[in-house]
Amino acid sequence: MRYFLTYILCLVGVLAMGQNKQILYGFDAVPQSLMLNPGSHVTQKKHFGVPFLSQIHVNGGASGVTAYDIFKDEAESINDRIRTAIFEMDNTNFFTVTQQLELINFGWRARNEIYFSGGIYQELDFISYFPKDLAILAWEGNRDYLDYPFNLGEISATGDLTTVFHFGVNKKISKRLTLGSRLKIYSSMISFRSVDNQGTFTTSLGGPDAENIYEHTIQNADLNLQTSGYASLTDSENSGDVTSDILGRALFGGNLGVGVDIGMNYEINDAWSFSASALDVGAIFHTKDVENYRAHGTYTLDGINLIFPPLSDGEATLPYYDNLEDEIKNELALDTLTTSYTQLRPLKFNASITYGFGIFNSSGPCDCLNMDGSQLHKQNVGLQFYSIFRPQGPQMAGTLFYYRRISNFLSAKATYTVDSFSSSNVGLGIAADIGKVNFYLAADNLLRYNNLAKAKSVSLQLGFNIKIDDE
Amino acid sequence: MNKALLQPIVVICICLFFTSCVRDTDFNQAEDVALTPIIELDLIYFNLSANNFYDSINSNPILSVTDTTEIRFLNDGELQDRLQKAEFYFKFTNSIPRNFQVDFQFLSETNDTAYVAGTRVDEGQPATPVITEYTEIVENADIFKLTQANKVVVTVAIDSSSQNLEGDLSLKSKTTYFLQN
Repeated sequence: MRYFLTYILCLVGVLAMGQNKQILYGFDAVPQSLMLNPGSHVTQKKHFGVPFLSQIHVNGGASGVTAYDIFKDEAESINDRIRTAIFEMDNTNFFTVTQQLELINFGWRARNEIYFSGGIYQELDFISYFPKDLAILAWEGNRDYLDYPFNLGEISATGDLTTVFHFGVNKKISKRLTLGSRLKIYSSMISFRSVDNQGTFTTSLGGPDAENIYEHTIQNADLNLQTSGYASLTDSENSGDVTSDILGRALFGGNLGVGVDIGMNYEINDAWSFSASALDVGAIFHTKDVENYRAHGTYTLDGINLIFPPLSDGEATLPYYDNLEDEIKNELALDTLTTSYTQLRPLKFNASITYGFGIFNSSGPCDCLNMDGSQLHKQNVGLQFYSIFRPQGPQMAGTLFYYRRISNFLSAKATYTVDSFSSSNVGLGIAADIGKVNFYLAADNLLRYNNLAKAKSVSLQLGFNIKIDDE
Repeated sequence: MNKALLQPIVVICICLFFTSCVRDTDFNQAEDVALTPIIELDLIYFNLSANNFYDSINSNPILSVTDTTEIRFLNDGELQDRLQKAEFYFKFTNSIPRNFQVDFQFLSETNDTAYVAGTRVDEGQPATPVITEYTEIVENADIFKLTQANKVVVTVAIDSSSQNLEGDLSLKSKTTYFLQN
């Protein structure tokens, strides 16, 4: 338990709003902006991601606490700081880690002016809400919490390791409107989920008629854990098997799912435009290697009732302890099921409104940087909105941004984001086209870079592409 | 102008990424993290009546009764490592007009005596039960002995008994476990 807590707290240190890529959204100098809005502007003619290097995305955060809060180098004991953190945090605070690695990404503009794009990426997504009551119980015990109902329903966590195969289309269908969509096939390697739990644990003093000093009651418990891809791994005897098992699942060998991304960009007039996208509208169907656990019931523990049965010499007394264990198992039944289940993907929404000014047309008569022929501005300012559906409801973020095309080979975007983690998240992204090589780097929480330990979240994306604007 | 802008931006970005750091922190403190929960848990309870101490078929007094139960978690490896102190609390309610001696003998898996505790219980009257409370604190070297045990033998001995004896003797008990890792 001690190590578990330590690891969770260490994670806080090294690892941002799960999956929000506010800098890349609408950053049309980067081909990967198509992954955030399949209906965004595409300025290039073709692109190929450098395999394994086209997008590296890591993102982690804790909404209630920073590594500095826990590990600061001061005289006060770390245990006092952890205790303070446990009591200051709430069960709506969460820890999240997201990592994505693009294996392949490519796109090209066909003769019919449709921009096709596709690829494969791997994604790890983990979120756990803070089970405050259980943390208090583990940290303090129940002595000072008589009659307090510890809420077992605060357990809420999901984790997924998935490979995504995708193919999308993007077309400017009128002078002002661009539409796009992307079909995704998911192959889930490992997945677990424990949500919609309920129940309480209370220790109260028994009244005069009570059997014993206390009554320890688990009330209306219903705890469940769904897993897929896990049971067979625990059966594998050596790590080689595990690796080959997981690699097999990465390539359509896992539990499959299907989803779509849709998006649009609409130029309201020459200066104003509006864009929106919905990502991962889909589900994974867990049918293979599924193991689900459910424990439910109500039970009151009074201790062991000795009845002093008359025994002859050598005769054993009643198996009180076994009987108690059996009684608990009967009253709090633990079921292991292998029934299939369907898991909705965490649905994400992005939207933005942009005001552009200054005409950008550096490439002379052939406006090669602007293959879809729309007006490019030198500078854009605007607002973005992001939301992701999580087990305990949507998490939202608002971003104010400034985007500048500095030259025909360099663009930069600065963002100021308000989200569950903080209200002072400044991010910066740059994209450079050096010859045909497109490089981009985006990071947020820059104000915290002089001491990352004080950041509640950190997000970083970088990648290399080959971008061809003309031939 | 472009070059003039590009250079500082690239330099600033590179500086940001390479100078970012984690400071004023000491992650070695993780080794000092100690969970110190204090757990209250019911132990055993019983209700004996005066006629448990007289064999009416053979007309013989029964001067002591014994029962045993396993307490399997007591010699669990984790508890052995983490237990700092255990506080047993026994509360007897006696309405039998006799004194009792109640002994608790903690035995290991091989039935060796690991730890013993016991108390006198004051006599009561059928109309006016008397409460005897007894606390046994186990700490330091005794913790090792206690956590070798996985069962407890409870012996209730009565000073004397007769057919007409009336009343009840009941026990409620709990343990406070002080844990640390």
